[in-house]
Amino acid sequence: MKKKILIIEDDPAVADYLITLFEDNDYATVHATSAQDGLTLAQQEQPDLITLDLELPDEWGPRFYRKLSADKALKNTPVIVISGLSGNKYAVSKAVASLTKPFDREELLKIVREHI
Amino acid sequence: MSGTILIIDHDTELAQALGIYLKRQKYRTRIARSVESAGSIMEYPESVTILADPGDDNSEDVAALKKISTTSPHHRLIIYSKPDRLEKWMAIFQDDAFDYLRKPVSGIALDLCLRRAQRWVYQEQALRENAAKIKELKNTQALFQQLFDEVPCYITVQDKNFRITATNRLFKRDFGHEIGEFCFQIYKHRPSRCADCPVAATFIDGRRHQTEEVVTSKSGEQFHVLTWTAPIKNEAGEITQVMEMATNITQIRQLQDHLTSLGLMLGSMSHGIRGMLTALDGGLYLLDTGIRHQDPDRTSRALDQVRQMVAQIRKMVLDILYFTKSRKLEYQRVDLRELVHSASDTITPTAERNGIVFTRSFPSGNIPIDVDPVWFRSALVNFLENAVDACLSDADKSQHSIDFKVFLPDNDHVCFEIADNGMGMNQETREKMFTLFFSSKGSKGTGLGLFVSNHVIRQHGGSIHVESQIKTGSLFKICIPRIRETEASLPFSEISAKVQTK
Repeated sequence: MKKKILIIEDDPAVADYLITLFEDNDYATVHATSAQDGLTLAQQEQPDLITLDLELPDEWGPRFYRKLSADKALKNTPVIVISGLSGNKYAVSKAVASLTKPFDREELLKIVREHI
Repeated sequence: MSGTILIIDHDTELAQALGIYLKRQKYRTRIARSVESAGSIMEYPESVTILADPGDDNSEDVAALKKISTTSPHHRLIIYSKPDRLEKWMAIFQDDAFDYLRKPVSGIALDLCLRRAQRWVYQEQALRENAAKIKELKNTQALFQQLFDEVPCYITVQDKNFRITATNRLFKRDFGHEIGEFCFQIYKHRPSRCADCPVAATFIDGRRHQTEEVVTSKSGEQFHVLTWTAPIKNEAGEITQVMEMATNITQIRQLQDHLTSLGLMLGSMSHGIRGMLTALDGGLYLLDTGIRHQDPDRTSRALDQVRQMVAQIRKMVLDILYFTKSRKLEYQRVDLRELVHSASDTITPTAERNGIVFTRSFPSGNIPIDVDPVWFRSALVNFLENAVDACLSDADKSQHSIDFKVFLPDNDHVCFEIADNGMGMNQETREKMFTLFFSSKGSKGTGLGLFVSNHVIRQHGGSIHVESQIKTGSLFKICIPRIRETEASLPFSEISAKVQTK
């Protein structure tokens, strides 16, 4: 069975890019455009990995992460932060990696492979 | 030195005897037989005491003496004569003569008379000097008043209660004629004095103080001013009033604001640019893999995305360029239809993809207009894209539409009407939409688009009319002069014959 990645990203062009990239590399994807949807989807789908944009329309990424960590079933799910803010390494300190847009896709895939 | 005495007497012997006596009294003397032979007394630089005996009824001498006494008031005329003629001279000379002495002249009478005359001279002199001083003082005062009025800052003089006792012209122009009002009331519209009042500080220590304030003029405009204070002291050295000079530095502050916002803009845009570059990367990836896997769907999707991102990046770069320097427009005569077609073509794919009904209505025929095609087109695109965004952000309606109507209300103007039934704007958004960095689109907006578009339209001498209702939609009506004034004299009959709205 394919590993599942939850993409939380509100920019449709970037989301489309991530979905295509992951599916081309044999991952299944689910996509949410807001933190609230992201949390619901995470609980429903139990993804193997989450990519998280920091600036979401309804909530700030780090708060989403705290809510995610509060869920026992989800708190060990690896999260990769992908954001347009430079210096985002400290925003979610427990994230397995933090990438700054525009990111290197080989690097992203490598990190994903390392964790799932 | 006791002055000069001119003795005029036909009796030369007597005159010489008098002269010797007077010399002994330290007077300078001159002796003449007649007024005529005395030369021009008028040319004597200093005042002269004339001791004259008109003699017999020599009318020439009498007339000449009378003339001197009336035309040269700084000379003093003393008539001396035989007692039997004295009254006659008095009747003739009246008070034009300073005094009358009888012959033979007694030494003491002459001395007293001359001393009195001398004293009168001094008094006259003092009077003249004082008159000159007063005149000078008046001139100086006028000069100071002029300086006070013409100085290019706001000057107020305030008493210990911060009541304004004097103001200069610039102050009166911008803040009114408010003598007797409180400084804090006039400048700041507040009920009590400011905490860091420089005038109060100067009253306490007698030194100059400097602050920067924001004040509001009588027309409600806000000015940044730099204030200096200086004490005004009375003769005893006590500070009775304080003068406050306020220089308007609003322009400098605006420039500073501009530079600050420039920095702010570049900072806030970096996030947007990163997003666009990522999307462009995505587009290239789709294109690359689409071609490699020979997937036409993916390839066309990729091309669409790359095109869209390039357009967005292009627009953003143009906005930055526009903002960073006040660019002069480069007018060109272009065809109206071509311009509006190319502008509306940029949103057609997005509108189609999202099921937005995009209706266009343009005038037919070739209609030349004078615009800067790069900027004007990008302003139009901006308004159109905003209409698309407004539709996409509105979840309440099942069907969305955008109407783009271009028409000529008269030969001299072109109007562009963009109407959408999207999310609309509330009052706050309506009021602020043209403000720099105001965006209702969160992280998706830079707050530059409408600011720049508004500026471009204004630069074209145009106007923007906005109607908007929240959850109902918006209407932007932009009108600009069709032909630039310098070329308005061109024959127009050919063009206007072709102009017809659909």
